[in-house]
Amino acid sequence: MVQASPADPHDSAALTARIEKRWALMVVSIVALLVAMVIFTGLHWAMMPPSRVETADPTTLHVSGEFVESNLGSSVEADGSVTVRMIGQQYSFTPQCIVVPAQTPITFRATSADVVHGMLITGTNINSMIEPGYISTFKTEFDKPGNHLMPCHEFCGVGHEAMWANVKVVDKGTFSKMAADTRRLTCDL
Amino acid sequence: MISNKRLVLAHFWLAFAIFGLAVLLGEWQMFIRSPLHGWIHNPDLYYRSVTAHGTVMGYVFPTLIAMGFGYAIAELSLNQPLIGRRWAWAGYALIIVGSISAVIPVAMGLDSVLYTFYPPMIGNAFYYIGVVLVVVGSWIWVALMGINLHAWKRAHPGAPVPLAMFANVAGAYLWGWTAIGAALELLFQILPVALGLSHTINAGLSRVLFSWTLHAIVYFWLMPAYIAFYTIVPRAIGGRLYSDTMARISFVLFLVFAMPIGIHHLFADPQIGSGFKFVHSVFTAMVSVPTLLTVFTICASVEIAARLRGGKGAFGWLKALPWDNPQMLALTFSFVMLGFGGAGGLINMSYQLDSTIHNTQWVTGHFHLIFGGAIVIMYFAIAYDLWPHLTGRAMQDLRLIRTQLWLWFIGMIVTTFPWHYVGILGMPRRMAYYDYTAPGMSAEGVAVVMSAVGGALLVLSALLFLTILYRNHSANRVEPAPFTFSQAIHEPTSLPLALNGLGLWVGLMIALTITNYGYPILQLIGLHDADVPAVYSGGQQ
Amino acid sequence: MNDKRSRLVSLRNPWFTTSVGATLALFLFSAFVGFIWLPSAQDDALFKGLLNAICGAAGIPRTWLSETNPPVAPKVPLSTVILTPEMLSGPGMRESVGRGATLALRCTMCHGARGVSAANTPNLAGQYSPSIYKELRDFQTGARTSAIMAPMVVGLSDQDLRDLSIYYASLPREPSPGADDASPALGIVATGSPMRNIAPCGSCHGSLANKLGAPWLSPQPRAYLKSQLEAFANGTRHNDVSGQMRNVARHMTQDEINASVDYYAEKR
Repeated sequence: MVQASPADPHDSAALTARIEKRWALMVVSIVALLVAMVIFTGLHWAMMPPSRVETADPTTLHVSGEFVESNLGSSVEADGSVTVRMIGQQYSFTPQCIVVPAQTPITFRATSADVVHGMLITGTNINSMIEPGYISTFKTEFDKPGNHLMPCHEFCGVGHEAMWANVKVVDKGTFSKMAADTRRLTCDL
Repeated sequence: MISNKRLVLAHFWLAFAIFGLAVLLGEWQMFIRSPLHGWIHNPDLYYRSVTAHGTVMGYVFPTLIAMGFGYAIAELSLNQPLIGRRWAWAGYALIIVGSISAVIPVAMGLDSVLYTFYPPMIGNAFYYIGVVLVVVGSWIWVALMGINLHAWKRAHPGAPVPLAMFANVAGAYLWGWTAIGAALELLFQILPVALGLSHTINAGLSRVLFSWTLHAIVYFWLMPAYIAFYTIVPRAIGGRLYSDTMARISFVLFLVFAMPIGIHHLFADPQIGSGFKFVHSVFTAMVSVPTLLTVFTICASVEIAARLRGGKGAFGWLKALPWDNPQMLALTFSFVMLGFGGAGGLINMSYQLDSTIHNTQWVTGHFHLIFGGAIVIMYFAIAYDLWPHLTGRAMQDLRLIRTQLWLWFIGMIVTTFPWHYVGILGMPRRMAYYDYTAPGMSAEGVAVVMSAVGGALLVLSALLFLTILYRNHSANRVEPAPFTFSQAIHEPTSLPLALNGLGLWVGLMIALTITNYGYPILQLIGLHDADVPAVYSGGQQ
Repeated sequence: MNDKRSRLVSLRNPWFTTSVGATLALFLFSAFVGFIWLPSAQDDALFKGLLNAICGAAGIPRTWLSETNPPVAPKVPLSTVILTPEMLSGPGMRESVGRGATLALRCTMCHGARGVSAANTPNLAGQYSPSIYKELRDFQTGARTSAIMAPMVVGLSDQDLRDLSIYYASLPREPSPGADDASPALGIVATGSPMRNIAPCGSCHGSLANKLGAPWLSPQPRAYLKSQLEAFANGTRHNDVSGQMRNVARHMTQDEINASVDYYAEKR
């Protein structure tokens, strides 16, 4: 405990300094622990934010390349994983309704045709910015079938409040039946 | 003695007046988007309001407080008349001109781009010019603070710089450097497009430059509050500052670590590599160090006050504290909110946890709790402490002051806790309305109504605050005792060079900016593939 | 002053050596973890090897997945117009208006002598030039189908289409009876329906904001607006870029379509 009126000022100065040092050490340990947790989850759960920088011209997305309208949606890759391609634009995502299988590695690729958008999928930790000029790529996996909302979470203009999409997670069997007919799947009406 | 009372009062009054208006806007926003109100038929009114609320609360209000308080500190702590008084008024005038230039196009609906600008959306040039003028006005203050300290040091070679001024100048230098990011974005990216000289912009680069300002600005907002923690509260409650050295270390750590961490706002962005994201995450963890040091030092200082007042026992001393003293109350509320807000902040800073709440209402809740709560309540405390010295009149409404602080505390908790909750549920920010009838949205509805009620308490508290200040101008004249700052238990007689000046720490701040921001910025400047067409807001170009 | 400064920046000053040393150590540690250790733990072909790990983590741009799976080509022609804000501005506007006026003689039968239509065809006077240009191009490429318009645009050069667009944009727009001023929008027009991803009409088509390529709608003939909105809803019209209009229309009920068409249609 602190001595408010010390007999010898030098002793008390040394005492306060010692207590402070102990506290400072504790603070540094707390910070080190936090950083260690971040490193641990990064190493063992392979959780990383989107990390590759890749550019795309927002004015020509609809003309050529992987973001043409007919190439958007979910596609099954050779290794069994699923790639979902989508774009954000004022004021909708295309596709508006994304369908993916549960318990399957999913790679999202998304970009914007005009301004900065963002997306999150409720009930999951999927969350990314979608920026014109850049492609956001991120990997995830859904545990179980279910329906999720996918709002745009970055202000993108006066229609922003209406920019909501849906994600439908179906079981693997249902998905492969759906995927038998078509190379790019969506649940758009 | 403050010889420039009018200058300081002008800054504070303008700050609190626009703060009152912006609080009203904030509550209106919460109300119209809650289930209490139908869907607004012109959503742009909501976005205009968000733009105005953010611009005032983020840029103009805290800047004016820091400036007014800074001018007062310069005179009170250095005991010398302010050098550059005319320049100070010029800076004030620039802020007024800038604010008017910014607010008119916003009100007309030409600039619904929010205070975070969001290129490639581009609004009317006058908005951006106004923001630049506000920043330039504040840079005059930064220069004056440096000049005043320098003059004092020349007149007092080797003497320890008073803690309040040391911290004040640290805050000024932090702002001077951190405002450069947004200034570069405005001057070299946005304004050329807004003025029609160019039609494309690299939105990724803009976001990086803005992040340079966006996080450290929070620490600039926070500086006056921390100065009050260290140099006003211990004196006001009859205690001593536990450690002058630790206080200085905390302030210089803010200077070093507040700035090179802004990319933690961009964890979910595609234009930054994961390496820089991690580096910024680590440095963000470091910026909690000065806050944790402060919590310890201030709690110890408060304990000293309690024991000087006869407090006993391991926790019994808490009872001996002057709980009817507004400074004591404000400090306690501030620490409670800082505690909750800081815990939330640790989630935001972590690379992985952030992805659950990035850009949801959680974030709105977080910074309202930290800034609107922990920091602004100390702005109130500063005003209460300084006002009698500015007006020469007694502060008589002690009960009203306590009610006001309680209301602000409860209001802020009731407003922000539900926001955190709906954020975890995935409710996005800044939408003019929500469909609470949709499956999975009804839980949000109840919480949103709660926060609107909390907002009403905040409006009430803000009105009360303005009334108290206003009433003081017609209270009894008194000759207040000379203003003093807190005394440390061990007042420094001499200080190591490193803690008696800011050179070393400014150097480290700049060096870390280069290591942590240099490469991403240079690379994006050269990345012309990512230059995208502007999208003009508020009308076809 | 000078010798003081040299004492601050000196290896004998423990404050200097400790602070600079600790900061440097922290930076090197975080850089090592962020640029080498964490990327190496990723199960990703791109991150294999030290140099790749560092370059990827530093954010050096590169293409990644795009070439592994060739894009699926569209079954029907889609719009290929590239819209930019300055696409139809610049020098020579006056000449364009003159040439456009001559070319427009062929349009007067349906679109009126001064771009104001007497039939159920769209009014063009004062329409935004990028919006006119986009539709003309789409008629040419077949992205938008029309038995009447397709033969009209055959043989017109790109410059002809630009001239026509600039000419019609220069004509005075017929006074609007509703949307942009007096009568307030209600219901679906004003607020849309967020959960069905229907934004307020005015957030692209004027009154709230204008989106590049989106036309103003008021006043336009009711029958025209209705047929187009229904065509977007059922997908028979598909020249909107990346489905931005189909995304809205396909979720609208027939009542909502009628209400919004009524709102924008001529009310004389």
